[in-house]
Amino acid sequence: MSHTVLVCDDAIFMRTMITDILAQAGFEVVGEAETGSQAVEKYRQLKPDLVTMDIVMPDMGGIDAVREIVKQDPDAKILMCSAMGQQALVVEAIQAGAKDFVVKPFQPSRVLEAVQRVLG
Amino acid sequence: MDLSQYAELFLAESREHLSACNQLLLEWERHPASPEPVGGIFRAVHTIKGMAATMGYGRVADLAHRMENLLDHLRRGGKSPGEDTLQLLFRATDALEKAVGLAVAGRERELDVAAILADLDRAGAKEPTAPAAASPPPAAASFAAPSGSGRLVSVTIRPEAPLKGGRATLIVRKVQSLGVIQRMQPAAAAFESDDFDGQFVFELDSAADARDIEVAIRSMGDVERVTVGDEEEHVTPAESVAAGGGGSGGAAGAGGGRTRHIRVDLRRLDTLMDLIGELVTERGRLNELAARWVGQDPVIDEVAIQISRLSADLQNEIIQARMTPVWQVFDRFPRLVRDVARQLGKQVAFRVEGKEIELDREILDELGDPLVHLLRNAVDHGIEPPAERKRAKKDAEGAIVLTAVRERSSVAISIADDGRGIDRSRILAKAKREGIVGPHVESLSDDQLLRVLARPGFSTAEAVTALSGRGVGIDVAMTRIRALGGSIEIRTEPGKGTTFVLRLPVTLAIVRALIAAVGLERYALPLTYVAETVELGTTPMTKMEGREAMVLRDRVVPLIDLRELLGTNGGSPPPPPRRPVIVLEMGERRAGIVVDGMLSQQEIVVKGFDAPQGTLPVFSGATIMGDGVPALILDAAGLV
Repeated sequence: MSHTVLVCDDAIFMRTMITDILAQAGFEVVGEAETGSQAVEKYRQLKPDLVTMDIVMPDMGGIDAVREIVKQDPDAKILMCSAMGQQALVVEAIQAGAKDFVVKPFQPSRVLEAVQRVLG
Repeated sequence: MDLSQYAELFLAESREHLSACNQLLLEWERHPASPEPVGGIFRAVHTIKGMAATMGYGRVADLAHRMENLLDHLRRGGKSPGEDTLQLLFRATDALEKAVGLAVAGRERELDVAAILADLDRAGAKEPTAPAAASPPPAAASFAAPSGSGRLVSVTIRPEAPLKGGRATLIVRKVQSLGVIQRMQPAAAAFESDDFDGQFVFELDSAADARDIEVAIRSMGDVERVTVGDEEEHVTPAESVAAGGGGSGGAAGAGGGRTRHIRVDLRRLDTLMDLIGELVTERGRLNELAARWVGQDPVIDEVAIQISRLSADLQNEIIQARMTPVWQVFDRFPRLVRDVARQLGKQVAFRVEGKEIELDREILDELGDPLVHLLRNAVDHGIEPPAERKRAKKDAEGAIVLTAVRERSSVAISIADDGRGIDRSRILAKAKREGIVGPHVESLSDDQLLRVLARPGFSTAEAVTALSGRGVGIDVAMTRIRALGGSIEIRTEPGKGTTFVLRLPVTLAIVRALIAAVGLERYALPLTYVAETVELGTTPMTKMEGREAMVLRDRVVPLIDLRELLGTNGGSPPPPPRRPVIVLEMGERRAGIVVDGMLSQQEIVVKGFDAPQGTLPVFSGATIMGDGVPALILDAAGLV
């Protein structure tokens, strides 16, 4: 049974790339979200094994989404997708309950390492 | 990983974000005190930065990064932007757009952004730094407790690891599940800084085995070195396992939240359309064969009908798939109108209506340039300078409205300005001088006016300013629109303004047409412009400007006999006694086309056609009929 993933990013480009990386490694991307509030809603519906979460998104940002999701499910496994220079935001996200992070530009091997750590 | 497969997606999505940047900058310029635009611009630029970095477009990412810095200052500062700042952001957006294009074309090295980068940095430095982000979140560790009892743990994060502070935070949280952290050097707040070098030391009160502590720390990834107490590290770095099991993942399934959109390369749709075009042609042949064979085996008819139905459905679906909302082209116009108006010192309020109306992607792409011409003209020659408008008791700010409306099987796009209008008497005088109209003509109708204006180079002569240069580009625009099977109309009133209306078919590739016979030939007339058909002689006849015409419900409709216009082959039979008239209607104009007979109504696949020199300008293309014989498609705009 492969792990299910919810991919949250406001850029289709990024969602496509993350989905490709994960699908090739045998994960099942069961949903995508473009905003933080969508992410919270879809998490509720889909109960995925893993969430990849962009930090900067319209509507509700990624960090607030992490807080909301962790409130619903303290065991939620959330992997932050950040950019260079977002040190403070990443620290904040981890304190909010994110389990790990990867930094754009993504290298598939690093994404998969992080995913393994989060699921491990 | 092969990134080239993502290049088009990157380009398409970057363009959307750049378009959003432009829209938001315009909005910000209008409402400088509004806090929303800057957040949106920041997000758009940030997204482009992330995508560009992923694609390996370093310079694009760098430019976006510097823009983002400035925007971040502005966003946090919460002040209205200065005029200079807005102009700089407009320029930077243009530069970013260019950078994205060059990068995707593999020519990123040609990019020269030194000047704009310097400007961005200078502007960023001028903005007051944001008030320090409200007190740093409580550190994970507690420092106050007395020392002495714990073991000293020292961690070094790999030098090449990104965001070392984030990694350190993860490690600290992990360690806290094993025990209590006593003192930490540096303090947790340092993890938020980009200067954090990845080394930290703390005292840990924990019953856990030193080895377990080390394993736990290493399990957080990116750890170069760990020492616990006095022990030297002895654990080999944990090799991460790249992939999870089960290769069957990702298969389409019944996931409720699965997205319902995919992006498809436009060329795929084009190919699909071509194939369906051929299928439709073959379907026609099959139908003809079936009609011949139905006596031998009636089942063939059933099959032919099924195939017809299926291919019609298929065709509909693909046409729908090609439909694109006009905003994809219209969205860049507010910026264009603003820039032109600024250059010319005019004030223009620009509005777009009917953004969601859809057109075939190919038509929409072709429409961009003609619309740019017409919009530029409207700002340049239509809208008066503010002082002149005030004198005329008009609002100093002119209005230009771009509207798309769906009409039956066509879409009408109008560009209306409330400017000075076109001075017909001046145009008439000039048209007379140049012999375009006879010397006795007293006034120009809208149609005549357009025809005069659309003569190549008509107004580029000395009268440019006098007649407001309306002709510039109109010939170009008109040729394009006609090539798409569309038409242009003009309405103008001195002092009140000018409106151009472009009518375009919704789709190019397949049209329903009336097949008419003239002599031994067949011609196709797209139904888009067919109003009705009548029989010649059943309505009163008259003359109009020396031409044959008929009176149809109180309206005089000029007649065009295709036999006369096109000539007929030597062996053609004489015209039948009762000849049909096909009434074409284009906007306000009408014409009756007299043919020998009407054969059928069917869908035809339009093929482009290069008319040989000297061909009458009344054909818009050709099609292959069911029997494999080609037929020409008559261009309603050329006839009416």
